[in-house]
Amino acid sequence: MKLSSHYNKVSIIVTLSVLFFGAVIYFFAINNIAESLHDDHLSEEVAEVLEYINLNKQLPKQRDFDEDQIKFSKLKSTHIATRFYDTVYNNPRVNINRAGRAVEGSLVFKGDLYKFNIVISKESTEYLLQLIATITLTLIAALLLVLFLTNRYLLKDLWKPFYRILYKIKAYNVLEIEELQLTPTKVNEFKELDNAVYVMSKRVKHDFQNLKHFTENASHEMMTPLAVITSKLDTLIQDETLKQEQLDQIHDIYSAAGKLSRLNQSLLLLVKIENNLVGDIEQLNLDRLIDIKTRQFQEVLLSKDIQVTTALASKEITCSKYLIDILLNNLFSNAIRHNTANGKILIKLSNSQLVFQNTGLSIPLNNETVFDRFEKGKTSDGIGLGLTIVKNICNSYNWDLDYIFTDSLHTFIVKFR
Amino acid sequence: MKILIIEDEQGLRETITAYLTEDNNICESCYDLQGAIAKLAFYTYDFVLLDIGLPDGDGFAVLNYLKDQTRSEAVIIISARNSLDDRIKGLNIGADDYLIKPFHLAELKARIIAVFRRKSTNSNNSLVFNEIVINLMGRSVEVNGSAIILTRKEYDMLLYFIANKGKVIAKTALAEHLWGDEMDMHDNFDFIYSHIKNLRKKILDLTSNDYLKSIYGIGYKFTDE
Repeated sequence: MKLSSHYNKVSIIVTLSVLFFGAVIYFFAINNIAESLHDDHLSEEVAEVLEYINLNKQLPKQRDFDEDQIKFSKLKSTHIATRFYDTVYNNPRVNINRAGRAVEGSLVFKGDLYKFNIVISKESTEYLLQLIATITLTLIAALLLVLFLTNRYLLKDLWKPFYRILYKIKAYNVLEIEELQLTPTKVNEFKELDNAVYVMSKRVKHDFQNLKHFTENASHEMMTPLAVITSKLDTLIQDETLKQEQLDQIHDIYSAAGKLSRLNQSLLLLVKIENNLVGDIEQLNLDRLIDIKTRQFQEVLLSKDIQVTTALASKEITCSKYLIDILLNNLFSNAIRHNTANGKILIKLSNSQLVFQNTGLSIPLNNETVFDRFEKGKTSDGIGLGLTIVKNICNSYNWDLDYIFTDSLHTFIVKFR
Repeated sequence: MKILIIEDEQGLRETITAYLTEDNNICESCYDLQGAIAKLAFYTYDFVLLDIGLPDGDGFAVLNYLKDQTRSEAVIIISARNSLDDRIKGLNIGADDYLIKPFHLAELKARIIAVFRRKSTNSNNSLVFNEIVINLMGRSVEVNGSAIILTRKEYDMLLYFIANKGKVIAKTALAEHLWGDEMDMHDNFDFIYSHIKNLRKKILDLTSNDYLKSIYGIGYKFTDE
């Protein structure tokens, strides 16, 4: 639920209940006032009747008192207390029943005890009440409408900077070179929020850059000592007095140094891809590149008795040749490295996707971590960055990379956009 | 050949100097930009090996100096930075090749010979090792006057061996030279072995000298000793 609808809900409930209770109190107050006015009127009537009797020495006739209806009846012996009450007023001329107010009491006339009863119509006050009620209801409706509209449009406008900031944060990517821009707003709270977000994004970016530079520098710095190791080994093996076991050990050092150097190159490549530092974008025939790559790997494939089946549709892409070469290299290497003897590799290229399938272990890989750094099989002698690099290259071109395990084939799907 | 090695890392400088100081090569070395410019101002060289990251500045200054003086030294950059920009920049200012650290000394030697052959206009563009003659332009090989047909890998291999004649070449160095990036996936050297076997057989068909010696466990040596 949006903040504005929350606010709308609360404000409308509060307004409605206040207005409702107000209206109830208002109604009773006005009713009360009207009642006491009627009672005053009736008391005056009674006084008039008594005055009439004193003056004319006879009971008044109906017509002497306009619309008011007066009845007299003889009582036996007991006085009755004077009281006011609501009753029905019957207008004799049109014969309609209306709400009325009455008074009754007793008086003594020529030694006899009489009960009198006077009824007056409440029509005029009823009308007044109706009028007041109508006006009040209209006012309530108007007020609600105004409240609703203000909440809807003014609040929406008021919150606009907030949504702009939110959109900015959502779109924020720490990898992008571009800095987050400030959102102009007059509202202090939003200004503060925007500033906080701005400062935070700058700090995050700075830290991230630092970390990347560290990786880059560390990798570079390691290259020179590695070069020393390699060249010293190259010199060392020239020694003809070396024994078999020593040469074996030197060979292992070579392998380790080579692995370390490839690891470094991969880390540097990842930094480069993440920084979008690889340019040389050109039009490429992906199907042709895959053909060439298949031929390049021919020897290795033959030595492992792996059969490659390709189904390639013509597909043009606009990418860095260097990165696509690495992408294919890594997909191939992966498919070969984790294959079984006499295994298969299926490569399918269509306009929308590139699929690499290979036979291998009959257990599917973990879908969540297969593209993570240094995530590799227990038996793998790779460095665990190959698929991470593939993933990053795909990311940099906004392609999707998925892994599924179907028909006991490990399947990697690159979906172009 | 007279070679100037500009490299600030002492260990590397020494081994490169030692490896290249043979075959009538004269090697001199220095470890910073100032020393390099001073040496280049006094002497001429056939070859300069240039490290880009020097303690007192970057190595491109040496290239600029050579360019301004219209000098003819061949230059190979050796750099820890595998950056396309650096490579293009270096080659644009006049470097002849760009080698990324870490590298095998055999690779360096092969590159030096390739660049030197490419640059020297007066040579007949063939590389001779006793009865084996490699025609670099036509990429053809003759043994005792008759041509032998080599696959590309075998040709590259032979060239690499002759460039590093008399030296033990590690299998890993050979594999990296022949397969480059693909190589990072297999540490099994069976297919190198099959190429070696074919190459040796093709040469032995035309001569009785077996120059290609296997150094068990580590690699190969091409030698007439």
